[in-house]
Order: sequence, then C-alpha cells, then structure tokens
Amino acid sequence: MRSTARAVALRVLAYVGLGVGTALFALPLLWLLSTPFDAAPRYAVRPPSEFTLGNFGEIGRNPYAVSSLVNSVVLALGTMVVVVVAAALAAYALSRVRLPGRDALLYALLLLSSVITGTAAMVPIFLLIFQLNLIDTRAGVILVLSGGLLPAAIFLLKDFIDTIPRSYEESARVFGASPLQILRHIVAPVARPGLATIAVWTMVQVWGSFLTPFILLRDPTKQPAAVVVRTLYTEGGSPNLALISSFSLLYSVPVVLMYLFAWGRYGFRFHGGIKS
Amino acid sequence: MADVELRALTKEFPGGVRALDTLDLTVADGEFFALLGPSGCGKTTLLRTIAGLEAPTSGQVRIGDRDVTGLVPGARDVAMVFQDYALFPHMTVLDNIAYPLKIKRQSRPERSGRARGVGANLGLAALMDRRPAALSGGQQQRVALARAVACHPSVFLFDEPLSNLDARLRLEARTFLKRLQRELAVTTIFVTHDQAEALALADRIAVMEAGRIRQVGTPREVFGRPANTFVANFIGSTPMNLLPGVVSGGGVAVAGGTLTPSTITPPTAPGERVIVGVRPEYVSLSTTPVDGALTGEVSIIEHLGAVSLVTVEADGALIGATVPEDREPVPGSRVWLSPAPGRVLIYRESDGELVT
Repeated sequence: MRSTARAVALRVLAYVGLGVGTALFALPLLWLLSTPFDAAPRYAVRPPSEFTLGNFGEIGRNPYAVSSLVNSVVLALGTMVVVVVAAALAAYALSRVRLPGRDALLYALLLLSSVITGTAAMVPIFLLIFQLNLIDTRAGVILVLSGGLLPAAIFLLKDFIDTIPRSYEESARVFGASPLQILRHIVAPVARPGLATIAVWTMVQVWGSFLTPFILLRDPTKQPAAVVVRTLYTEGGSPNLALISSFSLLYSVPVVLMYLFAWGRYGFRFHGGIKS
Repeated sequence: MADVELRALTKEFPGGVRALDTLDLTVADGEFFALLGPSGCGKTTLLRTIAGLEAPTSGQVRIGDRDVTGLVPGARDVAMVFQDYALFPHMTVLDNIAYPLKIKRQSRPERSGRARGVGANLGLAALMDRRPAALSGGQQQRVALARAVACHPSVFLFDEPLSNLDARLRLEARTFLKRLQRELAVTTIFVTHDQAEALALADRIAVMEAGRIRQVGTPREVFGRPANTFVANFIGSTPMNLLPGVVSGGGVAVAGGTLTPSTITPPTAPGERVIVGVRPEYVSLSTTPVDGALTGEVSIIEHLGAVSLVTVEADGALIGATVPEDREPVPGSRVWLSPAPGRVLIYRESDGELVT
C-alpha cells in the first residue's frame, strides 16, 4: 500500500515539475501570441483586455520597421543563393573527385567556420570588409554570412551527394548528355531534397543573425529586422510594447512557415539514390 | 550494326594496377558476346573502356570502321545497361525510356510515341507512369533494357544485367534477353561472373583472368576443350577433375593407375609432368572391375537433382563422377572409373596450357 502511494506521489510530482517547466518555456510564446492584439500591451501574459489590430499600424509608423523586414528578406535570399550554388558545386566536386586530404580539408573548414562568424574574428572581418569598401553594403553582409555558413553546408551536401550513385551520371553520359545537361536533368533533381534543406537552413540562420549585420551596416535603413528590433523604443526611452510585440510576431512568422514547408515536404530527412 | 575491335588495349590505374593487359579482341557484327571471369579480372573495366567511361592507357577501340578511342561516350553510338540499372528515380518509366531521345533532340510527341512502342514490346505498357521505386527488380531491368533499345545503338553493353535478380527470375530474364538480342540482331557485349549464364546466352565467350583473355570460343569449345587449367577450373557447374600425372610408356600414370592410349593420345616426352583434366560428366562409374580403369573408394555423394556427384578417393587424389540419381554407389565401396574416349584433356603442368 505504502509503496503504491509513494509511486503515485512521485508521478504527481513529476507531472507538476514537467508542467512548470513547460509553462516556463510557453510563457514568452503565449505573450508573443496575445500581446500584439492587446489595446493596452503590458509585460504580463494574459488574454487581450481589448482586442485590436491597431498595434500592427505602429509598424507602419516606425521609419525603419517595414524596411528592416524587407532587408531581412533580401539578406536571407541573397545568402541562400550564394550558399546553395557554391555549396552544391563544391560538394559535387568533393564528392566525385578524389583529392588527397579531402576529409581533413572538410573537417578543418567546418571547425574554422564556427570561428569565422563568431565574435573572435569580428575585428579582422571588419577590417577586411572595410578594405574591400563593402562596409554598409548588403553585399558585404551576404559575403561574410555565406563564408560562415558554407563549410557546414558543403559538409552536409557532400554527404548527401555521396549517396547518389555515379551510375546515374554515367548512364546519362553514355546516352550523350553534356555535363550541363547531366547537372540539370539528373544531379540537381535527384539532389533537390538536400538543396532545399540547405536553402531553408541558410535562410533561418541569416534571419536570426544579429552580430554580423549589426557591425557591418551603419545606415539604419539597410539594417535587418534582427538588428532594428533593439531600437523600438518610445521617445521617452521606454520600450514600445505595442510595436515590439507586433513586430516580433511578424518577424517570427516566416521562420515558422519555412520550418513547416521543409518539414511537410522533406521531413528533414536526407534520402538519395534508391537501392532496392 | 557494327563489329567491335580492340587492339592492344591496356588500362593501368594510378597505383600501378593493370586492369587490362595489351588485349586484342574482335566481336563480330550482331554477335552476342560474353566477357566472363572472376571478380577483379578486368571484365567490367573492359566494358567501361569500350563505352568510353574509362580512357585506355594505350591501344585502340574501334566500333564499325571508326576509331572511337578518343571519342566521348555519347559519340560512340553505344547503349549501356548498368548493374544497378541506373534508372533516374525522379522520372517516370516513360521519361526514363525517352531520355536518350530527349538528348537527341527529338520532339516530345515523337519521343514519347517511340518510348511507348518500345515499352509495350517489352511488356511495360501498364507501367509507363510509375516511378522506378514502384517497380519490381525484373520490371526495373526491363525498363533499363527498353531505355537502351529506344536509342537504337549499334552496340549494346550490359554490365551484369541479371545479377540483381533472384534465382528464378534470372532464368526467365535470361531467356527474354536472348530472344530480344536475336530479334534486334544488335552486337551485344555483356559482362558476367556466372559461367552458366555465359554458356546459356552467348554466341562466343572470352574468359578473362588478371586483365588478359585466357580463351575465346563458342560455349561448346570453352566447355568441351578449355585451353588451360584456369578456364577448365572456371567453366562448368561441377568442377572439372584436374589430376597431376606423369607421362610413362604410352600412357599417363595418374591417381594410382594408368590411362592407356585407348582413351588418350600420349603427349610429348615420357617422364614429363602433366595435369589430366576430365569433367565428372564424362567419367563413367562401375561397381565391378573394368580393364584400364582407375579404382578407388567412394567418399562423398552430393545430390544435384537428376544426377548425383560422386567423389572417389583414388590413391590420395579426389575424382568426381556423375551418376544418374538411381545408380548411386554405397559410400565406402570400391568402384572403377573410366573416362569417356576422346574426353580426356592433357595440360602441361609448367604453364597449365592444353597439350592435347
């Protein structure tokens, strides 16, 4: 009897503990979902006291909010194109050509990439971009972000392309297809799940990156949402909750959508050539 | 329609491995030709060199009256079926078959019409809109064949086309393949490591070992008169008896007995060491003494269906003989073995080449 009571008590305790933990993580999300629609936004998590869509109007009135979202899209798409194209070519070459020390090269790149966009390399990167006359340009940000993301992207894609049998390409070659046709008709379509995964992953990474655009972009009209969100204060110097909450909600929607898209379509699985 | 000619073809891989060693070979127009050998003998490298997927280190490949050695695969007018079939997983069966025609810039209606025609001939009409992943192994193999047929090449190259099928399906596909080749009469070179497959399908067979061709001949020649002990060992579903012997006074001393000139033509000088080869199928077994026969004790009996393979221990040597399933001797009993006249082959022991 006593041992059953003990077991029940333990179980109740476990559920309570898990519930508290869940609530802790759910609170900010609930705040993000309810506050933008509250006519009197506060820090408290509660259902809107008076439902309104007026807070979203605040975004239009802020001089930088809308343009920052556009900037985020431009940076994300730009970096995505550079990373996907460069990583696809590099991964294809690394997968198909035997190079001495190929794996060492890949691992070294992967290791260094975490340093490159990290705080440690910020000064040299700033100087480099300064000398290239790319300070305060989106191209500079795109190049630095791409450089940081490429090693991991190449690493993932190479693994993926390794699973595509060479006989696909050889078969097309015997039928007379040119290298470009092989890439267009065979390799790219077969590798599409891998390419899409890399594309979504890149965009999500850029969407959330703060330090690189913060340091390299001076002009607030060029800064992306992740940087601009820290400037959303009232004239009095207190946080503009109406603006911050509605802006944050808009800012997170694309990431959720991309996640749903990739998950629904590819389930974040890699699958290559068939072997039956 | 074209013959294929290889002249002094050599392929050396980086690291010094010689996959092909100054190889000469001519495959006649319309012939069904098998490249047979154990794994690593260079047969697949040879096929890939003919296709143009590997560049030879030296030598020449000629198809028809063209020297194609320096041409890219697409310009050689060959079609290849790969061991894994290499069907494009993102295309339907129809698009797969029509792909070579797309490369040849045929219009969409023209190429899908022809692909449907070829597909229907190979029994694929109902599967045209499926993806390769939704097909069985046998169906995938036929799609791969259809794709090769659709581009009307002058030479077919098949790389172990049957090895991915299970045993029963393989027999069916074998018959199908032979009929297809007869109908199309296109020169076909196929690679296999299965001697039974090569014997069943090919007009002629080249048996390869370590980058060299050890014998070229019809299935009958290769089976009946292997040119050396390697081929003798490799061909045949029951291994050939290869017994060391010594030439002596008009016969050959072997396995405790002597084979007399009535069954063999005595070769070369007395005292020379030879290897006597005779297939188990050509050894008759008797339970009563026979003049001039080898004698020994029955050690093992293996059932092979309609016949049984009896292994006899004769003076330290093991000799196989096949008997009908109802005439098996008792294990441990003494039996007499006599090779069929004209079926005994003598190889030199020094280099393993056929003497007579």
